[in-house]
Amino acid sequence: MDLTPNSDQSALQTATADWCRDNMPLDGARNRPEHLWRDLADMGWTGMTAPGMGLDHATEALVFAELGRELAPVGLLSTAVAARWIGGDARVALAIPHEKLTRVFDPQDCASALSIWGNCAGLLMLPASLDTETGLDLSAPYATIALELVPNPLDDPRAALHLQLLAAAYGVGVADAARDMAADYAKIREQFDRPIGWFQSLKHICADMAVRCEVARSQLYYAACALDAGGDDAAFHVAAAKRLADSSALDNGRANIQVHGGIGMTDEAVPHLCLKRAHLLSFIAPVDTKDLLESAA
Amino acid sequence: MEIGFNAEETRFREECREWLHANVPEEKRPLHAADALEFDKAWQRRLFDAGWAGINWPVEYGGRGLSIVQQVIWLEEYAQADAPWIGANFVGVNHGGPTLIMNASEEQKAYHLPRILKGDAIWCQGFSEPGAGSDLAGINTRGRIEGDALVVNGSKIWTSFAHVADWQELVLRTEEGSLRHKGLSWVICDMHAPGISISPIRKMSGQVEFAQVFYDDVRIPLENVVGGLGNGWRVAMSTLSFERGTGFIADQVKQSQEIDELISTARANGKIRDDRIAGELGQMRAEVAALRAMTYRNISTVIRTGQPGPESSVIRLFTSELGQRLERMGVLLMGSAALDFRYGDDNIVHDYLRGFAATIAGGTAQIQRDIIAERLLGLPKSR
Repeated sequence: MDLTPNSDQSALQTATADWCRDNMPLDGARNRPEHLWRDLADMGWTGMTAPGMGLDHATEALVFAELGRELAPVGLLSTAVAARWIGGDARVALAIPHEKLTRVFDPQDCASALSIWGNCAGLLMLPASLDTETGLDLSAPYATIALELVPNPLDDPRAALHLQLLAAAYGVGVADAARDMAADYAKIREQFDRPIGWFQSLKHICADMAVRCEVARSQLYYAACALDAGGDDAAFHVAAAKRLADSSALDNGRANIQVHGGIGMTDEAVPHLCLKRAHLLSFIAPVDTKDLLESAA
Repeated sequence: MEIGFNAEETRFREECREWLHANVPEEKRPLHAADALEFDKAWQRRLFDAGWAGINWPVEYGGRGLSIVQQVIWLEEYAQADAPWIGANFVGVNHGGPTLIMNASEEQKAYHLPRILKGDAIWCQGFSEPGAGSDLAGINTRGRIEGDALVVNGSKIWTSFAHVADWQELVLRTEEGSLRHKGLSWVICDMHAPGISISPIRKMSGQVEFAQVFYDDVRIPLENVVGGLGNGWRVAMSTLSFERGTGFIADQVKQSQEIDELISTARANGKIRDDRIAGELGQMRAEVAALRAMTYRNISTVIRTGQPGPESSVIRLFTSELGQRLERMGVLLMGSAALDFRYGDDNIVHDYLRGFAATIAGGTAQIQRDIIAERLLGLPKSR
């Protein structure tokens, strides 16, 4: 039993964080460069657990939390899952079905999209050309299509858990980003002749953000290891990790705006980008309460 | 990162389980501290005789000298087996003893540690005062040096098991005029010494478990000072982060049993069909799982670095607040039957009422939030 990253994992974690900060900073999330996807593929993040690279989920979860912190494209989640369970190195979009509509995120240069229908991951072939628009999450362009296109279910139930795990890792990264943004601002912004972080009312908001991050990150590590171990409890632990990542990203997203005061609700400032990404993540491989109540823990 | 246990650890877990299965007492532990004393002592002695006391304490003082992971395994199995709370032995085993191991002289360790492990000596904690609860540095109880002794005057409060204790870990001000953290000493106080009087306090649950302690010219030999005169703050702090890290394993297993019981109750009485209740139960089941993961992470950090991380305060805060939410849900699921509670009842309402201590004792939830914000996030100190 060891839930701390080993030295290789720590090194990879640090290298990822450094690269993301230099090449994909959060404050540029609404206008990502054309070559970003090529760069992500070159770094090997589009298929860390795929045959060939074959890293474990624990290592992948650490890296995806760092990517999520800078609001990396959500298409990276579906592409990584497809690479592991279908093979190949094709770019795969992420689909969120809703009644008679399916929203397809990051569809550029994608022939197919991955999503979860029921409890099963499936692949959807995409029409040749799709017009994208930008919605709530300014960093995730998407196209809307009719659901008549029938998804091809993947055989292995672990594919759905994999997507849920990676989306949880992204959520943990968002919660971390919001916490750090709030704490940094509370140290420099002054009111009543003191940094606002001196006041317990603000300090305790930040402390609660830190608690949510520790809780969600710990369960993410456990869930990734449970998926690697392949036991019956993996489904519960991944669902628990996703639920906690969703709630911590949303709650921290909101708290970050409050800590930033007036500036926090402006378009110009970046706290709203975390909140909007948190809302998008909550619809990717969402957790059914039944999975939390009934699965073996 | 991995969640598995090695062959030796798995074997150890089986041994723990077998012994507990055969030895956990059938009768329930009495609720009041005075009634429970003989029970607590006998149970601790049984644990010691079978080699289950002080699993990671040094062998020369009666421990087993095993790893911290084995200590964790024991505590998990202990709670899983519904073994009784160690009650009156809690302070000695979980706090006084570890503090002595880290700070005391050979003589002090050789005398006290085996007695704690055998259940022969009951300890209590003398930190809080009527004017210094969470503000621990505001201590006013004084020890004046007179020859080879400290002459102590003052008062301590919220002292669990004070009226049944033999010894006390007492923090007092030994330098006249010193302020805050300076000039404090950590001493071993004989609770049977002349000049000590104890008045028990009843809790809102009806239990009598803690007391106020008064010191009127109590003489404590200078040789009972641990870690040197004036070093009391450092000595007291040396064990707190360990306590915050691994002291909650039993609570965590208990909470995982509680959440499953709550879910069964909600299924049985149909309240699970209320989406809000189902949602909250699901969230809490996820949180209970996360608490175990967080504890494992913290223990892994101790093993890797020799020190628990500052996340210990997160565990402390999260455990206490999660416990209270579980207890509140239990009462909610009972409905108006909760109104029938009477002092002395041992049920979910009792746990609920008793649970109000969790976010107050050992530093309030507000103090824990200050610590997290200041040490983990680097926000400015407001005290």
